Order: sequence, then C-alpha cells, then structure tokens
Amino acid sequence: MNTVIQKEQEYRTKRGKALLGHTVNTSLKYKLWIAFLLLVIFIGGYAYYRQLKFGLVVTAMRDYTSWGIYISNFVFFVAISLVGSLISSILKLNKNDWSRPLTRVSEIIAVAAIICAAVIIIVDMGRPDRFFYVIMHLRIQSPIIWDVIIISTYLVISLLLLYLSLLPDIALCRDRLTAIPKWKKWLYRIMSINWSNHPKQIETHHKITKLLAISVLPVAFAIHTVTSWLFATTWRPGWDSTNLGPYFVSGAFMAGAAVIIVAMYLIRIHLKLKKYITELHFEKMGRLLVLLSLVYLYFNINEYLGPAFKMVGVEGEHITELFTGKYAPMYWFVQLGGLILPIVFLIFKPFRKPLPIFIISIFVVLGAWFKRFLIVIPSLQHPYLPIQDVDESYLHYVPTWEEWAITMSSFAWFLLIITVLIKLFPVIPVLKEKIDSETINKLNVFKNEKS
Amino acid sequence: MENDNSNTDSRRWFLKTISSGGILAATGLALGTFTSCKEKSAEKTTLLTTDGKLVQVPNSEIEAMEHLHQGAPPMEAREGISGKKWVMVVDLSKCKNARKCVDLCDKHHNLTPDRPYIKVYEMKDNEKSSPYWMPKKCFHCDNPPCVKVCPVGATYKRTDGIVLIDNERCIGCRFCMAACPYSARVFNWGDPPEGKLDLPYSPETSLPSKVGTVAKCDFCPDMLRQNKLPHCVPACPNGVIYFGDEIDDTVTNGEETVRLSTLLKDKAGYRYLEELGTKPRVYYLPPVDRLFPFEKNTEENSES
Amino acid sequence: MRNHNYLNIDVLKLLILISLVAFNSSILYGQDEEVMEDAILSISFSEDNDTKIITTKAVDQSGMPIEDLELYYFVKRTFSLLPIGDSFNSTDENGIIKVEFPIDLPGDTIGNVNIVVKLIESDIYNDQTLEITKNWGIPTVIEDQETEKRSLWAAAANAPISLIVIVSSMIIAIWYIIFYIIFKLYKISKIKPLIN
Repeated sequence: MNTVIQKEQEYRTKRGKALLGHTVNTSLKYKLWIAFLLLVIFIGGYAYYRQLKFGLVVTAMRDYTSWGIYISNFVFFVAISLVGSLISSILKLNKNDWSRPLTRVSEIIAVAAIICAAVIIIVDMGRPDRFFYVIMHLRIQSPIIWDVIIISTYLVISLLLLYLSLLPDIALCRDRLTAIPKWKKWLYRIMSINWSNHPKQIETHHKITKLLAISVLPVAFAIHTVTSWLFATTWRPGWDSTNLGPYFVSGAFMAGAAVIIVAMYLIRIHLKLKKYITELHFEKMGRLLVLLSLVYLYFNINEYLGPAFKMVGVEGEHITELFTGKYAPMYWFVQLGGLILPIVFLIFKPFRKPLPIFIISIFVVLGAWFKRFLIVIPSLQHPYLPIQDVDESYLHYVPTWEEWAITMSSFAWFLLIITVLIKLFPVIPVLKEKIDSETINKLNVFKNEKS
Repeated sequence: MENDNSNTDSRRWFLKTISSGGILAATGLALGTFTSCKEKSAEKTTLLTTDGKLVQVPNSEIEAMEHLHQGAPPMEAREGISGKKWVMVVDLSKCKNARKCVDLCDKHHNLTPDRPYIKVYEMKDNEKSSPYWMPKKCFHCDNPPCVKVCPVGATYKRTDGIVLIDNERCIGCRFCMAACPYSARVFNWGDPPEGKLDLPYSPETSLPSKVGTVAKCDFCPDMLRQNKLPHCVPACPNGVIYFGDEIDDTVTNGEETVRLSTLLKDKAGYRYLEELGTKPRVYYLPPVDRLFPFEKNTEENSES
Repeated sequence: MRNHNYLNIDVLKLLILISLVAFNSSILYGQDEEVMEDAILSISFSEDNDTKIITTKAVDQSGMPIEDLELYYFVKRTFSLLPIGDSFNSTDENGIIKVEFPIDLPGDTIGNVNIVVKLIESDIYNDQTLEITKNWGIPTVIEDQETEKRSLWAAAANAPISLIVIVSSMIIAIWYIIFYIIFKLYKISKIKPLIN
C-alpha cells in the first residue's frame, strides 16, 4: 500500500523523494514507538494525578531538599534547548555550509526541549492552580519572573526559527505531496501562507531569517544565564558563584551538541538518510563537541578549584561530599565519563565515526543530566545551620516513583514532539536557502517590469 | 494585705477584659469596663462594636472570642503596625533546650513536632569550645533574600519589620526556601495534619495552613496587634527570648524589661551570619557565663 | 471604689500638667485608707545640659518626711515598664529621692514619655502608682517608615526604576523584532504568485 502511494506523489527529484519520503511512509516500528511513548506519558500522567491529589508529599522533596529532580530536569531541558541557536544561528552566521542538514533537527529539538522545560516547571509548583498569579501579581524583582519572561520569549523565537526555515519546504510538501490525507493537505496549505517561491518572498524570507539568526543569540545566552541566576542569587554552597552563568551556558552547548549527534545517528538509521547525514557530519560534530567540552571543562575547573582550595565552611563540606562523600560515584561518573573521557576519545579520528561518537554522546548526555542533579540537590543538603530537629525523611533525597515517572514522561513528551514534527515535516531542508543567481535575475526582471 | 490582693486582682481582671475585647473598638472597651466594673464577670457587658452599635454581651462569650481571635485578613495584613519596628534578642547563655517555646509555637500554629517553626539547634563553634543550644526562628531580615526572590509577592516585608507569607497568594515554587540562608522556611508538602480548621485565613496567624504553600515563624502579629508578646516569649521558663520595639529601644522577656541598646552593648549582641548582609531583626547574646550546664537529655531540660 | 481610683488618676494627670507648666513645682496625691497610711509623694523634674533628674519627696499624712521608703521608677514601653534609676531607690532622711532619667531614651514622635513611679510592698504605706507624661524623650523620627522605598524586596509596585527600565527595554527590543518578523510573514502571505 505504501509503495502505491509513493508512486502517486510528485517527488520530481531524487532528493525530494529521499527527504520527503519519511513524512508519508508509516512503518509498524514507528507506530510501536509512538505507542511506547504514549504509555510512558500515561504512567507519568497518573503519577501527576497523584501529585495533584495529595500534594508534593508524594515526592521525596522535603524542607531541606526543597528542589529535586524536577528542577534539575528543568535545567537539563533548558540546556538542551540551546542547540537550536547553536547550530542554526552560530554555524549559519559563520557560513558553515556543512551544518545545513542539521539545522532542522536542531531547531526541532530546541522547540521540544523548551516546551518540556516550561511544562516541567509547572509540575514542580506546589500550587499549579495559581499559575496565572505569576502574571497577575508579577514582581519584576524576582529571577523567576525573568526566567518566565525569557523562556516564553525563547519559546516563540525557537518556534519562529523552525517555522522560517520550514516555510519553503512546507510549500514544497503542499505542491508535491498530492496523495495524502485531507487534514494534512489542509495543514500544509494553511502553514505555507501562500508561499510561491516569488523572488520578493525569497528576498524577505532571507532578510528575516538572518535577522532572527542574529537576535536569537542574545536570547539563547540569556535563557541559560537567567536560569543559572535562579541559583546564583542565593547563598547556597555551589550556587553562590559568579562563574555560574558561563558555566551553565558552556555546559548547555556541550550537552546540546551531544544531543544533536544522538539525534543525527538515530535519524540517519531509521529514516535511511545516510546520503544526507554523512560521516563527514559526524566528524565535524565530533570536533565541535571536543571544542565545546574543553570550554566546559575550563569552567568546571573554575567552578570547583576555588572552593576546593579554600574549603570554607559549608562550601567545603559540599565539595568534600561531591569529591569523596555520598555523591562521589555520581560526581566522578559525570566528570570522567561525561566530560574527560569523551574529550580524550574524540581527539582520535576513529572515535568520530558514527557509532563510536553516538555511544560517547549518550554518555555526555547522561553525564549532563546527572550533572544537573549534582548542581541542584547536594547544594540544598548543605545549609549554613545544621539539619536537626526534623523528621528522618528530611535528611536524604531519593526520588520516589512518582518523580521518576513524571521525569520519564517529560522525556517521552520530548521525544514525541520530535517524532511528530519529523513525521509532519522534512527533517532535512529540501530547498536550498541561498539566493542563487537565477533568483536574483528573476527578481530584477520583476522589478523592472513593475517600474 | 487583703486589700493588696484585691487590688492586684482588680488589675488582672481589667487586663483580662482588655485582651478579651481585643477585636472590639477601644471606645467600647472603656465603656464596657465602666459599666461592668461593679458587676460580677458572669454578667453582661455593654460593648461598642466596630460598626458603632452598643451590644450587651455576656462576659463568658467575650472569653470565648479571645480564643477565636483572628489576625488581619490577607490584604490588611500587608500593612505593618504603625510606628513599630519589632526586634528579638535571644540570650544563648540562658537556653537549656526546655523546648517550651517550640511547644507553644506548635500549639498556636497547629504544627506537628516534625516540622516546627522554631528549631533549637545543638551548636558547637569549634572542637575546643563547648556545645550550646541555639533557638532559631525566622530572622525577619531587613534585606530579606526570600522576599527578593518571590515571583508573586506572596511573601513580603511589612513596615514594622515583619516578613509574612500570604498563603492565598503563594504558588509553591519554593524559591524562597532555597534563598533563605537560615533554613527558616517550611513547606506544606501534603494536607495539613490537623485537618480542616474552620477559620478565615490570616497571614498573621498563618492559619489555617494550606497545602502546597510555604510557612514560617511569623512573630505572631495577631498578638502584637493586641499589645501582647509573641507566644514563644512568655513561654520560655528561663527568659531566653526578649522581644520589643526597636524604636522604643526596649525589649522584654515577659519578666525583665531592658533597653535594647544597653543589652546589645553590654552583652556583645550579634546577629547570626552578619557577613551575609541580610540584616536580621533577631539578635543573639553569646553563650557565656551559662546558667545551665549543657545537657542532651531534653526531658530533664524541660523540667524548669 | 475602683471607679474612684481611675477618676483620681485622671485628676492627677491634670494636676501634673499644670505643674509642668509651672516647671519644677510639685503636686500632691493622696487617698484615705483604713489600716495603712497613704504616703504623699510630690514629684518634680529638673534638667540641665546633660542630666535629667526626677526628684521625689515623700511625706506622711502629717507632713513629716519619710525615710528609707523604696520607690520604683519606670518608663512605659510597648509591652511593659522599663525600669530607670538604680535597682533600689530609697528616700534619704529628708524624704527625697533623686533619680536620673536616661538622656538618650526615645519618646514618641514629639518626645513624650510616660514616667511611672510606683510605691509597692511597703509595710506602712499603701501601694500607689503615679503616671506622668513628660517631654523628656528623644523624639522618634519615623523616617519614611510608613511608605515603602523602592528596593529589590519591595512590593511589585516599588521595584527599582533602573530594573524596570532595563528589563522592559530588553523585552520591548526583542518582542519588537519578533512582531516585525511576524508582520513580514504576513506580507509574504499577501504576495501573489508570479504567472510564468
């Protein structure tokens, strides 16, 4: 049946066929994958229902560890969302043409991540029913408000970034995919807003794409810097640091690059796009990952050396607990397995082949997630005053199944959004974005005709 | 001598009437005491209500109203008590962890013993110095980190120095808990253990507590409005806690009344973690010349 | 009897007021009782550059000075009475006590303080309490106390101007660009296709 439909589509070119194929072919594997994600989301939904019913008491959070994996997961998603700007803005502005096939996927990841970040922060609220108080009673002095402003701004900007680069391709889908369900036709027609490759449209599109690529940069830096300020504006050990902004931003770039590599590998395998996502891309991304990891390593050293050297009071206790205490296994897994070893391996070319770099990137992503756990939780367990006179459950933090289920379902949402977007739209830009000489000629002719 | 007794009795009786009429207009009070002076307390009292009506109220009911006394509703509670700057001094040399302040605070704020507002820490400054008990409430800082970070203004600094929480505004983000360097705040993780209290909510009493919101020591502004000391102050059998008005320059522990400036100068008063710049409104007097030896056994300690 | 008592205090206050006008004059206070006698206390105030002295003369009903009579001096504060003077203040052979009033004690906004003199637990004399309002306190300047200053911990309405300006200018700048782009997209949608 699939093959029949394919014959009816007007792919016109081989490139078109390869890049649009995945939007119309639905395999059993895909259906199973969606079903699995929905199951995880459903379990998370049940856990969240329990949390709404009984309150945050269903979590392992208590008065000392008052922020748990919800917040560390939030920071992780904010970090991931930075990739959109990294690939589609920085690399684009630098005229790195090799990265063009990666822009779409990085923009999709950015959109999915920022949506999940925004939702997970609501999950963490003790009174989600009062969410709109944040707007009604807004206090501009609070870093949370800065974060709410910047997250909503970045959400809009990353949607625009995705949409702008999609626009010509949506029109392409509208024109070439003829044998598709009605709703899909309708969707492409509405979303393509009369795009007709008119030279003037191309010119405007080119202009605003560049404008957006520039303006997304400060916003992207701001989103993670402001998130770091949620921590840096307090006196907690490990948070009370002037280094926290660049530390978070550099960590986010590293984690984002690793997420892209993971996504590249999976898309390349499952959508059969080996011709478009080549070994060269892995090679280049591997080099980029080493560079970003080195920057992050530099800020890591800055973050820990000072306090470890001085060993001041609770700051010293906190560092000791990370280095040799309860959190040492996780800490050294993160620092060695998620940062130093990947750098060492990726320096050598054979490890920048698709499969090895895919595995290394998984470690980097895992390390990035647990790193955020280590940033949020141990700091809260080292207050200035001793922890005494409280219930035994206040002394340690082991996330409950509800917390894990909700966290897992946030990942399922993340993957579901990505999967659905890839299903709807070509994951690799089909049309070239550059204004070629032919278009310029057309435009000139058009202008002359008018005058 | 007999006469003496009756005199003090009458004074006490008078004070009692003042406190019981706390929510009624002061004019009504004066009137009430005048008309009821010669009557026995079982009889009726004429009082002027807030809306200007004269009512006859049995004295027994006035008593009942004392227990139901409410703090101001959320919007009014944002106004501080005019012309006051509340301040607390805790004399560490007198504390032996009798825990009466904790008990009475728990009772009046409907708290369970596992998450009190007041904590008594066993402190030891260094290996060689001897341990001491340190009662800690909310410090009601003048540069409050918790108020700075609140996204919705649910926690706020009043003009009389008190930092309060409006549990009907709080969204439960817990940023204030992360920001407070003194771990003064507790969270209502689940439903309040005492069940539903049939009272209108007031930030001044922090009652009834609400699930998913933050709570902490509030300096009992409902008591202060009646010119009474916070519950923990008279509760202490050893007179550890002094409370008063900084503008008055006077603090009292219920028995002894001293000048704040003299007390802090003479006994080298300090504020915990002064270097953080939070400017707490709670001072400590160092644990020197202790009244009691340091005993770990709390049951023994509570026998005053 | 109780009514009578309160009434007397009011009369007393009036008398004190008159005596304050006449500066350094004294007042009388007394009350009949059965067994024990009432002491007659007359209080006067004097001050020079750096001292403020409360002088009390105690005489009995026959006008003889009372020696070794203990009196307690207080200043009324929010919750309680603040003792002033020495821990024990007794009259000398002339029935006179001089108590120094602290020169740096805050009063109300105009500097008034309520001084309370108490005669209690005497074996011969009845308890009595005198309350006098005197303009001896340091006037407290309630500097902007009732109006909240702009600060990071103030309410939303009192956020620092610089913060509001910086944050809103950044928001306006970025959202201007966003709306500009959306407007341009609208323009794109209005362009008719070229007919080749």
